[in-house]
Amino acid sequence: MASETVQTPKLVVRTLLISAALVALAVLPAFIDSYTLRIATGALMWAGLACAWNIVGGYAGYISFGHSAFFGIGAYTTAILMQAGIGATFFVTLVPAIILSIAVAVAIGGPTMRLRGAYFAIATWAFAEMLMQLVTVLDFTGGTAGLSLPAYLNEFFFYYVMLIAAAGSFIGVWFLIERSRFGYRIKALRDDEPAAESLGIRTNLVKVQSFALSAAITALFGSVYAYWTTYIDPHSVMGPQITDQMVVMVLLGGLGTVWGPALGGVLLWITNRYIWSTFGDTVIYLPILGIIIALVVLFLPNGLISLIVGRQRGRELVSNILRKL
Amino acid sequence: MSSTPHNDAEPSGHPPLAIESVTKHFGGITAVDGVSLSVEAGEVVGVIGPNGSGKSTLFSLASGGQKPDSGRVLLQGTDVTGWPTWRIARFGISRTFQIPSLFINMTVRDNLLAAAVEGDWKHAHGRMENTLEMLEIGHVVDNLASELSGGQQKLVEFARVCMRDPKVILLDEVTAGVHLNIRQIILDAIQRLRKTGITFLVIEHDMEMVKEICDRLIVMDQGKVVAEGDFDTIASDKNVQQAYLGRT
Repeated sequence: MASETVQTPKLVVRTLLISAALVALAVLPAFIDSYTLRIATGALMWAGLACAWNIVGGYAGYISFGHSAFFGIGAYTTAILMQAGIGATFFVTLVPAIILSIAVAVAIGGPTMRLRGAYFAIATWAFAEMLMQLVTVLDFTGGTAGLSLPAYLNEFFFYYVMLIAAAGSFIGVWFLIERSRFGYRIKALRDDEPAAESLGIRTNLVKVQSFALSAAITALFGSVYAYWTTYIDPHSVMGPQITDQMVVMVLLGGLGTVWGPALGGVLLWITNRYIWSTFGDTVIYLPILGIIIALVVLFLPNGLISLIVGRQRGRELVSNILRKL
Repeated sequence: MSSTPHNDAEPSGHPPLAIESVTKHFGGITAVDGVSLSVEAGEVVGVIGPNGSGKSTLFSLASGGQKPDSGRVLLQGTDVTGWPTWRIARFGISRTFQIPSLFINMTVRDNLLAAAVEGDWKHAHGRMENTLEMLEIGHVVDNLASELSGGQQKLVEFARVCMRDPKVILLDEVTAGVHLNIRQIILDAIQRLRKTGITFLVIEHDMEMVKEICDRLIVMDQGKVVAEGDFDTIASDKNVQQAYLGRT
């Protein structure tokens, strides 16, 4: 933020780059086949989910292992409201999905965000597990059998919905974190909570606000995902693998950076799909994920984005690796 | 520093900060034992005493970091006892910490602006420029806080406090371990700010500094106030000599 004279050219360049990227993404479907389009749609979704998790994990400094719950809340709200008995249209279901996720985030975040470190992580993980078990035994969620949604077989529609959701999330978060007072609050909270409080920042409120915002974006993607795949069950939309992927994507791309989660999300999803198409399943993806986490933590703690826009350049990376070896 | 209306000496008749019979226990230890004090607008009051005498705990009680077991903390006559830290800060108390608590992943500029988000945001950039100039840290404004020397970190933390536009500033060993030039910058800033009506409560071990800037001193030992007065009075007080040199 800051000295406008220095920031203005940067802002113009950044705005031009973002606009160019959006145009490229908007015309992309005209040049790719339907299989690649599905991969691109998934990449947008995971980039958006990583962006959502990064608000709490990267900016507020609270490692949540319960975000699959919000993805599931979005997915199940849309699925339930689109059942034959109710028959809501897809876009209408987004509103209650987001509102419900915010309400749950406030109810859960209020008490749990007074915890720190591993205690918060365990509390959110337990909450997500509890919710998944609950969905498994309830009738109106379809129990273990899950729910089917009305099929809408238009890949272009889902690509553009994901694009709008992802672009909106990234631009919204960029504005909120890098261009508004909320950004100072949340970063101050992450770096030193008592010091932030001593400056008048109501840290408990900021924590819950960031958790609710993160939950709302996650639920939005859960809603779109449910309509896209036309079938959901507890494990597919509330399983821990959803949160795990979000965490790893953010770590790989760059924790607490605006564009790192996009990079991590897209790269890991493409890796995932490549392994699936090559080996026929994604079992080997998990050990690869583990190796990536270990390598990133050891050699690139600021994520891949630091090689592009951060303070760590290639030469630094190499010396870092050599030093560790 | 541009002074805003609430920095000027308050016409309310109430002291900017008053502490009445405050006590704080940690388990079986009484860290602060029935301490009372009052500071006037524009006054610089030193709080001295041996290590473990309760000075930093007293600051925590005044700024909301700890809640007293008994007693009251009054700001401008308003009882703020038990208020959360953020609320007391918004009411006009700002503090530094014994070990500088900067936002280490943020630049100096962002550290200062973060201090203004709950205040007069519209004029934050102007106030920041004035503060940077006053404390002579404009050349490191785009550095990350983690890249600064210990002395620069003390200056930035002091600058951050100034950005709050407070009525009362609590400084916890703000010149400890800093270069003489930085020490002088801080002393000059305190003298300048007090003229705008800001009140200072200063924990300090540097007796030269205490002598130079403090209007009066409060001496603590084992959680209690054992002496109070100007520097010369305190220097010749037997209780103070006992507190520092050991009981006989």
